[in-house]
Amino acid sequence: MSARNPVITGLGIVSAAGFGVAEVWRAVAAGTSGLKPLTLFQSPRYGQNPTGEIQRDLLALGAPTRASRSDKLGFLAARDALADAKIDLVRSGDRAGIVLGTSVGGSYDSEIFLTTLIKRGKMRARATRFHECSSTVDLIAEHFGLYGPGMALATACSSSALAIATAAEMIMAGEADVMLTGGADSLSRMTWGGFHALLLVDAAGCRPFDVTRAGMSHGEGAAMLVLESEESALRRGARILARLSGWGTSCDAYHATAPHPQGAGATAAMQAALRRAKLEPSAIGYVNAHGTGTRDNDQAEAIALKTVFHNRVPPFSSTKRVFGHSLAASGAMEAIVCVEALRHQELPPNPGFTKCDPTIGLEPVTECHHAPLVHVMSNSFGFGGNNGVLIFSKAETTQHTRAPGKVQVAVGGLGVIGPGVVTIKEITAPLPAGRGPVFSCGTLADTAMLTPNQRRRLSRLQQMALITARQSHAPDATQRVSVSIGTGLGCLEDAGAFIENLIAKDEREPMPSRFPNSVHNSPAGQVAIDQAAQAMNSAPTVGEITFECALWQGMSQLAIDEADCSLVGATDEVDKYLLSIGQRWGVWDDQIKPGEGAVVASLAPAGKTAVPLARVTALKLGRYRTPFSAEAEADWIAAAVDLSQVDMFLSGAGGSQKLEPMYQAVAAALLKRAGKKVEHQTYKQLCGEYHSASGFGFSVAVNLAREQKRGVLLYTLSQRGAKALCFVQP
Amino acid sequence: MQISTHELKSKIIESLKLQDITPEQIDDDAPLFGTGLGLDSIDALELVVLLEKEYGIVIKDIEEGRPAFRSVRTLADFIAAKRPQ
Repeated sequence: MSARNPVITGLGIVSAAGFGVAEVWRAVAAGTSGLKPLTLFQSPRYGQNPTGEIQRDLLALGAPTRASRSDKLGFLAARDALADAKIDLVRSGDRAGIVLGTSVGGSYDSEIFLTTLIKRGKMRARATRFHECSSTVDLIAEHFGLYGPGMALATACSSSALAIATAAEMIMAGEADVMLTGGADSLSRMTWGGFHALLLVDAAGCRPFDVTRAGMSHGEGAAMLVLESEESALRRGARILARLSGWGTSCDAYHATAPHPQGAGATAAMQAALRRAKLEPSAIGYVNAHGTGTRDNDQAEAIALKTVFHNRVPPFSSTKRVFGHSLAASGAMEAIVCVEALRHQELPPNPGFTKCDPTIGLEPVTECHHAPLVHVMSNSFGFGGNNGVLIFSKAETTQHTRAPGKVQVAVGGLGVIGPGVVTIKEITAPLPAGRGPVFSCGTLADTAMLTPNQRRRLSRLQQMALITARQSHAPDATQRVSVSIGTGLGCLEDAGAFIENLIAKDEREPMPSRFPNSVHNSPAGQVAIDQAAQAMNSAPTVGEITFECALWQGMSQLAIDEADCSLVGATDEVDKYLLSIGQRWGVWDDQIKPGEGAVVASLAPAGKTAVPLARVTALKLGRYRTPFSAEAEADWIAAAVDLSQVDMFLSGAGGSQKLEPMYQAVAAALLKRAGKKVEHQTYKQLCGEYHSASGFGFSVAVNLAREQKRGVLLYTLSQRGAKALCFVQP
Repeated sequence: MQISTHELKSKIIESLKLQDITPEQIDDDAPLFGTGLGLDSIDALELVVLLEKEYGIVIKDIEEGRPAFRSVRTLADFIAAKRPQ
């Protein structure tokens, strides 16, 4: 038994099936469908399709007004989970963090802006204030005082399973003692129109595993778990609801939307989770299946189940008809179903199933009934072949979760697409002035390396990721490769074109090939296909510290020995809405210019890299407090980094008037402490301002460490309170 | 009414953004999917949109379209049979 085993001490859920764990469990146990015709927005073609919409007044329940619909749902579930855990965050806030799966973010609200613009010619930019997927994380962290590491992961339908796995990893690695984790996604015209364009929606409501199944049903909601180290839970006498004893992730590396027909990735993720929990397949007493109700998912998942369990598949069911498919929230909702199944010692049924599909040959649980359960499994699979599997165990069992090791991480390769060629001379000599009104990467120069299908189908953002990934690492089928490539705002161009077209044409003539590009994990998913990278696949989206979060995930995969090589990176692009909304808000001026670009680095354990470019010797994520204290920041940095090794402080200054004085104050405080000359340099004058620009900063740091043998401390603050440090040494 | 396969090929090339391919290079009876053009399930969905936009044919279940998507000729026959008069 390890003191750092993650255990669950609080739960919160808001869904179409009910609010609060008790109400939801009653609906799950009864197999009640939460699906009704859509009322949230006009859908001329599909409004009658059964949907898991929450039709309650969120503000009356205590949600904040200045927030997107996803934020409101997330806030309510977070509030309930923290109250359930009875935790005092005033005392433990620095050791408490948050990782959420969010893939829709503020889209529902931003679509109101677009609808007003397209139909009435009016620009109401305020509706887009909470557009980013990380908005929910920032809102909750700030409100409840979670000052440890914070992250939003956007891997579509597997987001919150991956988030829970990442939160558990943080606890095991000692980055935090308490993690609020789960997911939140509202309904949106984008995902509504998107799945309809893919002909994946069942007009009769989803019927998972049934022979007549014809697709999924949409849903929305939020579910949160308080995950805590066993040591922390015991210390404060907390009630342990269940244990998170294993988790596994994988990538099909097969197709943007379709699952691998034999469920290869799903099999690998289930096996990885069992390996992590140190359990045999026969120990699993119940599986909450992903079971969306689409023909392909259920078929592939059934094959994977038969493979993993050697044809002795334990009782399983899909609860998608209870909630609707709530995308990034669904993994966390089903995690709560699993915890409650363990607590009640009951198997949840599979509403919508009536007749067995002979091509599947498996029958799910049809009636709720008692069963002695010790370990249960929850499956979540998403676009990009992204798979996340969690194993929960009864509170009273002994946990044997495998702990991470310590590994020195080296950068083996680096790929950069930026607005200009950056040389070491440029960054150390008097700095050049900004170039032109926008730091655009222009037409991509290296598209010749892409296949015809990659050129015709993929967005510019995905192409940038593919090219930089190839620059950093040659595909190698003998290696286990993980990919974490984040993005602040995703494929703006394709997402914008898709939703504009949907609104303007009232859902007629949709653009099915643009929709898969609109998800934030589409660059990471395409890189996985290109590189045959079947280990973890992730897309953090965390404002200015997006790149550092990707770096954290990649390093963590090496530490737990689930990857031989980790590709980590970040990418963002400029589009017309970003320019015009930024203009309206006065973001852009003579100094601050919009930029774009992509950076991917390949990481490997230091001893296993042929010619390392540099080493990453420290990486920390957290949140700064308001009022901002430069001294507190200097303490935080000094606790993680040996200041005598720091030759340069490389900050994200120059991108924002709010952050500028904060960066300057921290630089001054550090200079005073270091007791030696430390140069303060910046990089945004070279690449422009964009969410994931710190990836560009990282490439500068690696170059300086390699060429000039200097220790470079990369320090990044986000507008909404997140912070990161990364120490790069020769 | 039968439609010209040449015209249909031009529309497919445009709709699927096929690069460096002319209508003359596509055989009327060659399989559209699986081999040759390298098309996949998302291209099939673009063809569904094309059928609605150009010929007013609405497909709600991809299984309905599958036999029609075998080749340019089967697609042309399908359009001729289903097209609203």
